[in-house]
Amino acid sequence: MEGDVLVIGGGPAGMETASRISDFNRNVILIEKERELGGHILKWDRLFPDGVPASDVNNNLKESLGTTKVLLGNYLISIEKREDYHFIAQLNSGEIIKCSTVVFATGFKLFPAQKKQEYGYGLYERVITNADLETRFKKGDGLGKESPKRIGFVHCVGSRDEKICNKQCSKLCCITAIKQAIELKQLYPDTEIYCFYMDLRMYGRGYEDLYLEAQLKYGIRFIRGRVSEISQDQSGLVIVKAEDTLSSRPLKITLDWVILMAGIISERENDFLTQQLSLQLGEDGFINSVDPIQKTNQTNISGVFVTGSATGPKTLPEVINEARSTALSVNEYLNRVKNG
Amino acid sequence: MVNFGFKLSSSKRIDLDSSDSDLFLKLKAESGTITQCIACGSCASSCSAGNFTPVNFRKAILLIERGRNEEAKELIKGCMLCGKCTLVCPRGINTREIILSINQYYKKERF
Amino acid sequence: MKERIIFGYDPFVIPFTLGVIFIMLYLGTGTLRILLSLSRKEALNLLRSIFSVKIFKTIKDILFDVLLHVKIFKRNILLGYMHASIAFGWFMLIFIGHIEVILYTPQRNGVIYYPVFFRYFVMETSQTLRGAFFFFLMDLFLLIVLSGIALAIYKRFRSVRLGMKRTTRHKTGDKIALWSLWLIFPLRLVAESFTADISGGSFLTGTINTLMGRFVESTLYMDTLWWAYSCALALFLFALPFSRYMHIPTEILLIFLRNAGIKSTSSRNGFAESEIYSCSSCGICIDACPMSVVDEKSNYTSVYLLRKLRRRKLDSLFLAEQCLMCGKCVELCPVEIDSCRLKFLKKRENFPDQIFDYNYLSKKHPEFKSSINRQDREKVLYYAGCMTHLTPQIYKSLFNIMDKAQIDYSFMDRDGSICCGRPLILAGGERAAKELIRVNSELIIRANAGILLLSCPICYKVFKENYSLNGVEVMHHSQYINLLIKQGKIKLKKGDFSVVYHDPCDLGRGSGVYSEPRAVISSAAVLKESSNLPAESICCGGSLASRRFSQSERESVTLHSLEKLNINNPEKLITACPLCLRSFSKLNKRETLDIAQLVEEQMI
Repeated sequence: MEGDVLVIGGGPAGMETASRISDFNRNVILIEKERELGGHILKWDRLFPDGVPASDVNNNLKESLGTTKVLLGNYLISIEKREDYHFIAQLNSGEIIKCSTVVFATGFKLFPAQKKQEYGYGLYERVITNADLETRFKKGDGLGKESPKRIGFVHCVGSRDEKICNKQCSKLCCITAIKQAIELKQLYPDTEIYCFYMDLRMYGRGYEDLYLEAQLKYGIRFIRGRVSEISQDQSGLVIVKAEDTLSSRPLKITLDWVILMAGIISERENDFLTQQLSLQLGEDGFINSVDPIQKTNQTNISGVFVTGSATGPKTLPEVINEARSTALSVNEYLNRVKNG
Repeated sequence: MVNFGFKLSSSKRIDLDSSDSDLFLKLKAESGTITQCIACGSCASSCSAGNFTPVNFRKAILLIERGRNEEAKELIKGCMLCGKCTLVCPRGINTREIILSINQYYKKERF
Repeated sequence: MKERIIFGYDPFVIPFTLGVIFIMLYLGTGTLRILLSLSRKEALNLLRSIFSVKIFKTIKDILFDVLLHVKIFKRNILLGYMHASIAFGWFMLIFIGHIEVILYTPQRNGVIYYPVFFRYFVMETSQTLRGAFFFFLMDLFLLIVLSGIALAIYKRFRSVRLGMKRTTRHKTGDKIALWSLWLIFPLRLVAESFTADISGGSFLTGTINTLMGRFVESTLYMDTLWWAYSCALALFLFALPFSRYMHIPTEILLIFLRNAGIKSTSSRNGFAESEIYSCSSCGICIDACPMSVVDEKSNYTSVYLLRKLRRRKLDSLFLAEQCLMCGKCVELCPVEIDSCRLKFLKKRENFPDQIFDYNYLSKKHPEFKSSINRQDREKVLYYAGCMTHLTPQIYKSLFNIMDKAQIDYSFMDRDGSICCGRPLILAGGERAAKELIRVNSELIIRANAGILLLSCPICYKVFKENYSLNGVEVMHHSQYINLLIKQGKIKLKKGDFSVVYHDPCDLGRGSGVYSEPRAVISSAAVLKESSNLPAESICCGGSLASRRFSQSERESVTLHSLEKLNINNPEKLITACPLCLRSFSKLNKRETLDIAQLVEEQMI
């Protein structure tokens, strides 16, 4: 199969990039390893800050794909840059793709929370992750019919943590926790909700308002202290230990549910591809841009572009904007190589 | 200076102009990790001694950084050196080393 | 045999004689000093071990360790031969020299230099039976020593060939002693060869004499060479106290003391001194030490610590604080120097006891009140310790196993605990730890359990060694699970996946528990070997003993250990220590489990 552009990854970044490049009448091939387009937002119920359903966003993205050739259930097993500017990629189906540019829209991975052993994820039934909670929201289950007494959110699970080799801030979890906490409070108005945080990074427009709303309208309580251990009592409830750093005292609380805000880490499964193309990766495993300010979507190898969360944690609006700019860059590049 | 007839209590205010940074600088030279703290409280929370005593590593190194060494000493003397705090610290601070160094420092001072 | 020189004296013997007198005085005072520092009880033990059957073990040890170097042979044949040939060959040269004196010139008995320079003073032809016999023997042993010296010179420049990646750096004293040692035997060979046509010689010296006779007039250089030989010996003897070769005489004393059950009580004096001087700087500990993965840290290995202690350097404390106390160097040391104990003592001597304050433990805290009523001795008291609280999967699995086996157990430190005291001891705070041990002992004894069950080898070691618990049996969970399997209380199905087992330092080398965990694992999965012997397993990097290791340095140690463990490509890594589990699961690409988790998975 031949095409101008090969986009790897059918999440929001990949879909938006693909559809914008096809707008330039380019021949785009989009491959996605899953059987369905959407990436992480497939599993998400509603999106911050305004609670737009994730499926709406996904549908819009899918509809605008235009002439893009979509290959589902496909992933690369090798890629190679030829002497002329062409790339030759082989898919798991055996199909060979020849193209002029490659766009990495490979996204991220949620931190596998069981690696943070002291939190007992996978060990205690009532310790779940942010993704688990979204799945429950999507199914309409929430946390069961009965209203839980107390719920705790643990921020920074697998982010800002040298002990599990992820030093970066995941950026989205602070606001996600507040969004989810509000949603739970809407479901269970009588439930007490606690957020255990190190720093709350409400950097986006409307985020601080949501934080304020969480405090004022929903009475969500914030405890400044990172959870150090989670254990279980005989009845199956979970006991969380942290330091209340603002009063300098160790703190213990028994909760019905604990939601771990699993952070965003790099998708290590693609390391063999980045190696084959000799792309530069940062210490955190994300792909490095050739210039972090003006050429954020170009890599050290010409013809290879990168977009979305493959270069680090990003919010959806950022991803969409970056995808469009990537489309422009790719188009410029194609004009240049095809004409000269 | 106008005399208002009262004085600000000097013992309450942390005066960074004249704080005693000797110990902090020594610790910084010995193990740079003391400056990496983000005050998350994991150390104090997991502390085996913290349940029964004022032991609080996070606060202790904060106080040392602010030059309040004597107060800091009181916050670590009950430490059993079990090492849990070193294991949970997300910034990789060598907490046990710092505690031992502080105590070595006071041993030299006093004896 | 006829004396060639009537007075039995020639001025060339002076340097050697002075050297011998010097070293005798030095060794005499040194030995006396060490003996006087022994306590009354230790001295009695020493006497008892000398005047009893134990003396045979001591003699055997001296023969095997000092002369034949059996332990180095086991490690590397070439290296063993090098040591044994020099030590045993030289000993035999001196020994046979003395026999010759006793047999043939009894009037010279007690003349220090006579046995060594026998060939100069006494003549005999190889035609007679006794001449041929002794000449042959002396030449044979000289040849053996020379072959050893040749290997030693080769090793100095190509140590890798003798199985050593790294070897020690030399100080001035070492260099002088080394060069004179290298010179002694070639000089002896040449000197005896030049004298061979007068005093007689065998296949080696005789032949060289004949060969050389064609080029030079032997009598012309004879005196010069015997002078050179004597001077080389003197140089070696004078340099000996300032060199690593002090290990040769000191090790004999060390063996006597060790066989009397004496242990070091100070990091520098008394028994420790005999250990420090017994270090031959062979450097086996450098390659053995897990710290050596970090290049700079190989300068802090035991051999360098012993060297610093010997010279009473202040920074020996800094070196002691580096050590992970995994005990591998002690395990591999050919002289069996307990350098870990010396490090511990060094830290103990400098520990700021006065600052730490555990008075709060004595004020009976309400949370410490035992909730357990008087129970039968079958009952199990589980103590997770500080570390297992950070790896709840271990105790969760263990509890599921005990539930299945219908064991009556209680969880002593569900809401947190007093530390077992070993981390404090490892930092040197042995006195301070007494308070922790006292309060914990009270709690445990009051609980009336028959078995104290631990999942942390660090706790296990200290409960075994430093606690007296009124007959409460202390068990590690790997031992207890093994017991449950043996009693038929739980049954396992053997999985078809392969695993490798990592021996935690404090459980394997530290407490000698090797077989039980292996028995348990073998009945649950296919057990593969790692590249190390069980007793030589490499620290996971998580050790609490070192206060000087940074996170990244710890990671280097972990990766090194993992590389050795995964050599046979096992599917899973099994360990039996919460610290090892944490260190390994952080960096291992394969699944890492505690032994209890494996058993829970395979339980029918």
